[in-house]
Amino acid sequence: MTGVAREVTAPDPAVQLLRLLQFGDSMFPIGGFSFSGGLESAIQEGLVTDPDSLQEYTRTAIEQAALGDGVGLIWAHRAALAGDLAELERIDLQVYARKLSAETRTMSVRVGKKFAEMGVGITGAPLLDAWLERIKEGTTPGCYPVCLALNFAVQGLSDREAFTVHQYGVGAMILGAALRLMKVSHVETQRILYDLNADAGSDYELASRSSLSDMAGFAPLVDILAAVHEKAHLRLFMN
Amino acid sequence: MTRAGNIPERVPSQVDEPPGVRARALVDFDAEPPQMASGAVGKDAYLRLGFERRGDRTILAELDRRVPFMVQRALYPDVTLPDQAWIFIITTSGCVLQGDRFALDVSLASGARAHVTTQSATKIHSMDVNHAVQKQTLTLEEDSYLELLPEPLIPHRRARFLSDTRITIAPSATLLYGEIVQPGRKHHHAQESFGATLLSLQLEAQRPDGRALFSENLVVEPAVRSVRQTGVMGTFDVFGNVLLLTPEDRANRVLERMDARVDLDRGVASGAGSLPNGAGLMFKAVGRETEQVKAEVRSFWGVVREEITGTSLPEPYF
Repeated sequence: MTGVAREVTAPDPAVQLLRLLQFGDSMFPIGGFSFSGGLESAIQEGLVTDPDSLQEYTRTAIEQAALGDGVGLIWAHRAALAGDLAELERIDLQVYARKLSAETRTMSVRVGKKFAEMGVGITGAPLLDAWLERIKEGTTPGCYPVCLALNFAVQGLSDREAFTVHQYGVGAMILGAALRLMKVSHVETQRILYDLNADAGSDYELASRSSLSDMAGFAPLVDILAAVHEKAHLRLFMN
Repeated sequence: MTRAGNIPERVPSQVDEPPGVRARALVDFDAEPPQMASGAVGKDAYLRLGFERRGDRTILAELDRRVPFMVQRALYPDVTLPDQAWIFIITTSGCVLQGDRFALDVSLASGARAHVTTQSATKIHSMDVNHAVQKQTLTLEEDSYLELLPEPLIPHRRARFLSDTRITIAPSATLLYGEIVQPGRKHHHAQESFGATLLSLQLEAQRPDGRALFSENLVVEPAVRSVRQTGVMGTFDVFGNVLLLTPEDRANRVLERMDARVDLDRGVASGAGSLPNGAGLMFKAVGRETEQVKAEVRSFWGVVREEITGTSLPEPYF
């Protein structure tokens, strides 16, 4: 198995920044707009009522992502740099096994597969193509953080960049849904995103020092809201 | 002790073993207590319970114990499930203290049915050095049925408690595992509402062939990440974490009957969902008071009893 390092020619910093913007864009067509990260139920149940509670809820989601998926993502990035598909599968299964809520699993594998397909279509990277084959064969679930890490690794983008884009995506998804679900202005959602993004650096430092088995979380109300959402009759979002 | 010859001390490599939450806990909270040493006699409780089906009932075929864990004989108090052996775990020290290293090993041979609980709530005392560890190993063979529903955990302020549960379960067996965690003695001291330093509740389930089912690693560090945040505990105080591992068709029947709701007026919320890899269900409940969460867990337990054993849970005795 060849490592991906050879496939990547040293990228021009401007091009690298543009790649980051392109694949980290909340409008990148992987269907992120159909998910609310539990916000739809949080609003219906009266837990999120105003910009303050929206900010807290989004902070919870971002913190949970840093402790769980973010750790898996960093390990997946390391495995991708080594071109180690077996290790990527092991990490992918670990990430999947920690998603105890059905809608969260559905979102992760749906967005993950789409992201891998887009990545193959755009970059044509052989490692990404081999990974997509494994997802299609059903040998690995293809969780989003793993697919994102792989995509970034084959493009010569760092694990820090992949981690940061993943964190940004969690916040942008929830705040994008908030605009359609509650009375909140664009200025307020952007200010919240701006505030919460300030923690990305320290979150990365902690995640990059964690072992894979350290992937953790604690958000009982988010889990209960996912259960409420699955039982709901009227739904705008897929989670 | 010095090592002989040229055998190097093993230095943990940065990549293999980075200092994660657990490793950090072991480094930060590893000083020996000035009282009894960690894991000393009286602090290394061990309990091995082996249940087997004999004739028309389940017996406690194997019992091995070490203080402060203690168990008397199996009882058969449930008239609706008279074959099920009940075990009440007694901890003679009355609590969990710094430096305690407890281990519980429960196994059910095929067709056995058991209920394991504790005599009372488990207080985890304040710690100024070291930490406490609880390791649980659960093994369920084909068609066995275990309800492991201990009384609540009460972590006092500055408690550091690491729980590690490994489950190996045959595809036809059923495990109902539930733990309730209180915020502390919230009426006793202002700092005892989530005043623990670290709670790490780790659980991993697999099939006998080693196939992974799911993992959960709940890490509560109130001083690092606010527990009161929207989406975490919010205004709720008590947390109930229940897992039902059972064949998928049965799990789906239970799930269909479970309601999911957040009731801010009454101060209680709960909901169930499907676990990955067809492992069964998770059920989470939060409440303002312990009794509310106990009632939620009991109502889930009642549905499990009906759908899996075909019997109804009797009215609570007291």
